[in-house]
Order: sequence, then C-alpha cells, then structure tokens
Amino acid sequence: MSGNKVIKNLKSFSTAAERFEGSHVLCPGCAHSIIVREILNATNDNLVVSASTGCLEVCTAIYPHTSWDCSWIHIGFENSSTAVAGAEAMNKALRKKGRIGSDVPEPKFVAFGGDGATFDIGFQWLSGCFERGHDMMYVCLDNEVYANTGGQRSSATPIGASATTSPAGSTSYGEKQNKKDIIQIMAAHGSPYVAQVAPNKWKDMIKKIHRGFDTKGPVYINAMSACTTEWKFAPHETIEVSDLATDSLVFPLYEIIDGTELNITYRPKNIVPVRDYLGAQPRFKHLFKPEYEYLIKEWQERVDAYWVYLQRREEARV
Amino acid sequence: MNSKVMDLKKIEVWDGNMAASQAFRQADVDVVAAYPITPSTPVVENYATFEANGYIDGEFVMVESEHAAMSACVGAAAAGGRVATATSSQGFALMVEVLYQASGMRLPIVLAQVNRALAAPLNVNGDHSDMYLGRDSGWINVSTFSPQEVYDLTLCAFRIAEHLDVRIPVNINQDGFMSSHTAQNIRTLDDKTACDFIGPYKAVNAMLDFSKPVTHGVQTEEDWHFEHKAKQHDAMMRSRKVIDEVFAEFKELTGREYKAVESYGMEDAEVAIVAFGTTYETARIVVDNLKKEGIKAGIISPRIFRPFPLEDIAAQLQNVKAIACMDRSAPGGTVGALYNEIAGALYNSPARPVLSNVIYGLGGRDMTVSTLTEIYKDLVKEAASGKLNGTIQRFVGVRGPELNYYNA
Amino acid sequence: MSKSIKDMGWDELVQGAALFSFEGEVDYEMTQVQPEDRNYAETNSRNAYVGDWRVEKPVFNKDFCIDCQFCWIFCPDTSIIARDKKMIGVDMDHCKGCGICVEVCPTNPKSLLMFNENTDNEEALTQWPEKSEEKGE
Repeated sequence: MSGNKVIKNLKSFSTAAERFEGSHVLCPGCAHSIIVREILNATNDNLVVSASTGCLEVCTAIYPHTSWDCSWIHIGFENSSTAVAGAEAMNKALRKKGRIGSDVPEPKFVAFGGDGATFDIGFQWLSGCFERGHDMMYVCLDNEVYANTGGQRSSATPIGASATTSPAGSTSYGEKQNKKDIIQIMAAHGSPYVAQVAPNKWKDMIKKIHRGFDTKGPVYINAMSACTTEWKFAPHETIEVSDLATDSLVFPLYEIIDGTELNITYRPKNIVPVRDYLGAQPRFKHLFKPEYEYLIKEWQERVDAYWVYLQRREEARV
Repeated sequence: MNSKVMDLKKIEVWDGNMAASQAFRQADVDVVAAYPITPSTPVVENYATFEANGYIDGEFVMVESEHAAMSACVGAAAAGGRVATATSSQGFALMVEVLYQASGMRLPIVLAQVNRALAAPLNVNGDHSDMYLGRDSGWINVSTFSPQEVYDLTLCAFRIAEHLDVRIPVNINQDGFMSSHTAQNIRTLDDKTACDFIGPYKAVNAMLDFSKPVTHGVQTEEDWHFEHKAKQHDAMMRSRKVIDEVFAEFKELTGREYKAVESYGMEDAEVAIVAFGTTYETARIVVDNLKKEGIKAGIISPRIFRPFPLEDIAAQLQNVKAIACMDRSAPGGTVGALYNEIAGALYNSPARPVLSNVIYGLGGRDMTVSTLTEIYKDLVKEAASGKLNGTIQRFVGVRGPELNYYNA
Repeated sequence: MSKSIKDMGWDELVQGAALFSFEGEVDYEMTQVQPEDRNYAETNSRNAYVGDWRVEKPVFNKDFCIDCQFCWIFCPDTSIIARDKKMIGVDMDHCKGCGICVEVCPTNPKSLLMFNENTDNEEALTQWPEKSEEKGE
C-alpha cells in the first residue's frame, strides 16, 4: 500500500500501525518524537529517512537498538539533507536502469534535522539540496537551541532566550540576535512548498505533511518542537506550551506555495499575549525583571508586526 | 554497461584525468556526486560531457561542496548502488570528516584523488599532503604512477571496494598535473570488457531494499565502539587478499601486472629510495642509468599504502644497505610518513640499513633525474660507510640554507 | 535460536554497525500490520525497557474514556495502545511517565491520572476523583 494515509479524524488516525518505536531515549515529554510519530503515521509509503546528529539521531539509534521501522541513515551533523538527496539520486538511477522495477511504489525521502543542523552548520547542505530540486522533504525539529549538547545557542535561538553560550547574567539578557527567518529563506530557494507546523495542531500538521508528500520537489517543513529540557518547563506541559506558542502567534502556522502564495492556516480564536508564552518557560524568566520588561514589549511588537506582514502577503497573494 | 557505447581506440591519448573519467564511464557508476577543484576538475567536467552526450545512464549530481559530494555519495551508497567521485587537496580536506563516516559504515565508494598541496600557502600543484591527510580514514589507499595506471587501477577499485569480503571505500591517487594533466598512450579496454571485469553491483544492507529496513550510521557508547572499529580494521587488513586476487585477474585480462609493492631494480639493490607517484617513474630512469655505472640501485613503492604491506616491503628491503624514504608532504614537525612506516616495517626484521628521510617536491617543485641521481650517490656513500652522511631528515630542492633534522 | 547480540564478539557483528529492525524479510505491508503481529529483531528498541525511568505512572480508567485519542497522538513514547479506534491501555514497558497523556485528556474526571509508580493500579482506580466543577480542570 502506498500514498498518504486517509485520516478523517483522530479516531481513524489512531488506527495507524506505528513505524517509530518506543524505548528510544529521548527525554520524557519530548516533542521531537510526537512530531516524528505524526509524520510517519501520516503515510503508508515506504520511507528512506535520515537524521542529523542531534537529539533525534542520538536517542533513536544508540547501538544496539534502533527505533526506526524503516530504512534510516545518519552521517553527520551537517548532512542529513544531502544523505537523503544521495539516496534519492540512487533511487532515480536504479529505476532508470531497470534495477528497481516500476511496479515498486516510489518511496518517500525524509530528512530530519534540529535547528542547529538546519539553520547553522548544515545550512549550505540544505540550500544545495533545494537548489538542485531533489524530490524530498526536510523537516526541521526547531527547539531553538543545540539541545543535544546541553542547550547552546543557534541562529534559531530567539532574542532574550538564555542559552548556555548566550546566558542571561548580571550584564546580559541572553541571546542578542533575532531568529533567522528560515521559512522565507527556503521559500526563496524556489521550493514548491514550505510550511511551519506544530505538533499540538495535529490536523494542520497532517494536512501540510500530506501536501508536502504530494508535492514533487524539495519541501521544507519547520516543526516547532517545545523542549522540556532546554525551555525548562515540566515534561507534562509540552502540549500546553505548544498551544501558547501557536496561540500567541510566536509560531504562526502558515504555508507558502511556489514561493509566492502564502496561506495562514491557523487563526487562533483567542490570541494569547506573548508575555504568557514567555512566562511559561524559565529560559525567559529573567525577562520579567524590571530592567528587561522593555524586551517583552519589543517581543509583542515583533510578533504583531510579523502577523500583520503575513496577513498582508496572504491578502496580496504574492 | 551504459546503453550508449563509446568506441575507443585500442590506444588512446589521455591524461590522468581523462583516464579516471573514462574508467568511471566504463564502470557504469549509478551515482556520481561531485564538486570541481583543481587539478581534479577535468575528471568531473569530462564525466559531465559524457553525460551531456548520452553516454551515462546513471545520475550525475553537481553538489555545492566537496563535503556535500562525499555526503551524497554516502547516502547513495547506503541506498544501494555504485558510487564514485573525484577531488583534491582543499576539497579532500573538507570531506575528511565524511571519509571516516563512509569507511566506518563500510560503504563501497571510489574516490579519484588528484594529489595537490594543502594550503597555506594556497597551491594548486602536485604533492602528497592531501593523500597523507587521509591515511587514517579507513579507506583502501592506492598510489598510481602514470595515467595508464590511473585507468587500470580505477577499474580495479570498483571491483575491490564492492567485493563482499571487503566493502571498504577505495581511494586512487595520482599526482596533480604531473599525472592528471600529462597525456600518454593509454591501452584501453572496450566498454563491455571493462564493465564485465568489474561485474554487476552487489547490494548489501541497501536502504532501498524495503523488505529489510536497516539503520545506518548509529551512535555507539564505550561498550560497543571498539568492537566495530576492530572489525573495520580486520576487514581492511584482510582486503589485501582480495586486492592481490583482483590484480591477478587484471593481469590475465590485460597482461599488465600490478602489485601491492612495486619495485624496479630491487633484485640486487644495495641502495634504494621509497617514493609514491610519478617520482617512481623518474627513479626508474635513474636506476637504469646508475646500473650502467655499476651502481646497484633500486626503487620501491608501497603502491597499496593502505592496507600497508608491512611484511612484503620489509622482506624486499632486507639486503639493502642504504635507503632514502622520500616524502612529498610537509612533515609537520617530525619525520615523514614513509620514513616512519618503513622504519616500523624494518624494526622487527634483522635488517638494519642506513635509513634517511628526504622531504621533496612540495607544491609541485620538480624532482629531476639529476637531483635523484645525487640522492642515490649520497646513499652509495652511506652504504659504504654504514652510517648516515648527515642528519636523519633533510629537505632537498629548497633555496636557502639546507634544512637538517634529527641526529642518529 | 540465534545468538544474542550481547554475547557477540566483533567478528559476529553486522559490518558497519548496521542494525536491522526486523527478523528476516518483511513480506507484509508494515503500515497495515500492528506491532504485535510483526517479527521484531532483538535490536529494535521496542524490545528494550524504559519503564524504570518512571517515578510516576499513568493509570487508565476506562469508565470515563471517550476514545478521543488525544493521549494516543501526543504520547512521545508510542505508549498509548489504540486498536480499532479504542484506547486499550498504556504500554508500561515504554512509558516514561511524562504525564502528557494526563494533561491532554479532556474528560471530567480525567480517564488518565498520574499515581506514584508503586501504587497498585486497582487501588488507584478506587481513589479516582469525582467530576470537577471547576472550568478548565
């Protein structure tokens, strides 16, 4: 059987036969595995999956155990995208030469990488794959920090977050740089489909994953991954914090088709103040000191401005 | 075999780069993922031209860096097919991380390496510093001395790498410019014969085999890592048997014989040099000249650098009285690799020749017949006196005061 | 019976440290076959145990469960067993006790609650709270 799994509702989704097994060693409450399960359960296709060095890779393939019920490869930190691109090229070659029959359904090629791998050290590799137009999906598990090595900053770390290499201190409020707008960057590569998803909004995620799998060419999915260990909330609060992220519009859920058609796919019924999102995560707790209140104000302004920008682009269809 | 056959002449005039690209074409590689860098660029350009003219059935992916080239090769090889690429120097240095990953994952990949100096200073010319950089990367490492050898040994490389008892990536080295850009008469094989010699690709633990989902590239802790590296080392050491077998078969097919240790004039040599690459061919001329003068000179080279033929080369050096190990790489604060490896090979044998280290030819500085002759004449003095003329290590061919290091 | 990987020397391991997920060939549609009917390899993490990570455990009370499957989708450890659209129970070999299932359970009272790891499940069921009057509990 191949193709996207038909999912009418959550009950029917729950009949999926899992391909991501338990007893991996990800933290209790880790959003990475919620995301991976949602993605893998969304399709009936054969899969070739890769992961960059990082939490997902380290915790799901420690010898002698693997949590993957599909073919999987890890090479290094930079190159999960290129690993899968190489496999995709081999698939093309073998089919062209008749060594894989046309009766064998085409597999899906999915690369996973953390924000460190995606925004920083593996950016060139990702860019190259997208420029070449490989038929693949790249999913960034965005927890805004190099989580696996203890929480160092990445270019996805937002302003004011305390990370171990941009810590809050008596003379510092933590990270000073704005988060790189990876979605616009990947759209500008000419990717036919890019989107931001969040695991708490599973219906929105599945719709986008399905669309991504149905799209030919390189697809980029930025998946918000609320990290209990590095954002420093309790393990059971993962979905709650994810809800704050999506409902405060800090992580707006939208998609861009062919680089120009922007669609906002989730409009919260009640928009939550950014302050509430920040307040739920001790990595931001220093911002609530009187001398840093202005940063919370700036945060709200930034999020508001970006929301206006998204709506304008959606309206103008550019 | 690719569907469009190229009718080659029995003797073609090719440089080392064309030899490598033709070997890739005839090998019917499934995925070539590559990036250009001087002086290996023409390997990739030639291959691109073949592809543009319909001679390549496989995929040709021009990636955005050498690290990406090897990364794509690893992904493609793990997916389950024949893979190759080419690079030099800085590009090789950039992909070094992935070389270790490729060999650790036991993936057959062929790398046509055109040896070039490593910066700084930036230099595009031929020396062996990049070859030496990859010494420990777990690849089978082969030195060629001429374009004919590049052609022959690149074909053999696929056979060796993909052998079920090996499954180790193979690196075929040639001197930048001196071999890569120098044309010679190449005796060719026709497409079918070349491809049949290599044989069809045999998949092992292929990711595209969905009946057997497999995880490649795991993490290990201190309780498992050593076993895997031990197994990898063992496979590398035992690959020597397959290399010898493939060489024997190649000799049957073509009459051209290749050995793990190449030697010329060594039957009765009293003085010898050890060197890789085109220096070997220069030395053959010098050896012939010296023999006419009654000097028993020889040249010897561990063509298969990895797995290092320690026993064989020690055996062939037993009766030599003075040896110069010539390293074409900046030694970085010690004696050169060839000196160390030859010394190591000889130490557990009875032979105690006078052993010296010559650093030469960096950044494409020529090693001429006359300079080599002088080196041999020094060796003759050392053979007669039974001790070093000067220090253990010297640089030859540098303007300015002579560089001498390490007293015996 | 083939040797356990724990007892293997370097010479018996699969080259390249490759790991197989299943024993033998997968000649069935994996996406249509539930885990209990698959032939897992020893090296599949499903055969490992992380139950000892728990300090607290979720106890399932099916009297209140509406089979909404929120717990199923949001479990990071594939530990909510759902079959035929019904919530069957918690896989205690793989559950790390994170508590997400309890958080997202929408029923009142909740159908899943955290108890001390050493509490007897039957005992826990008798201690189930009443329906809460507070909104959003």
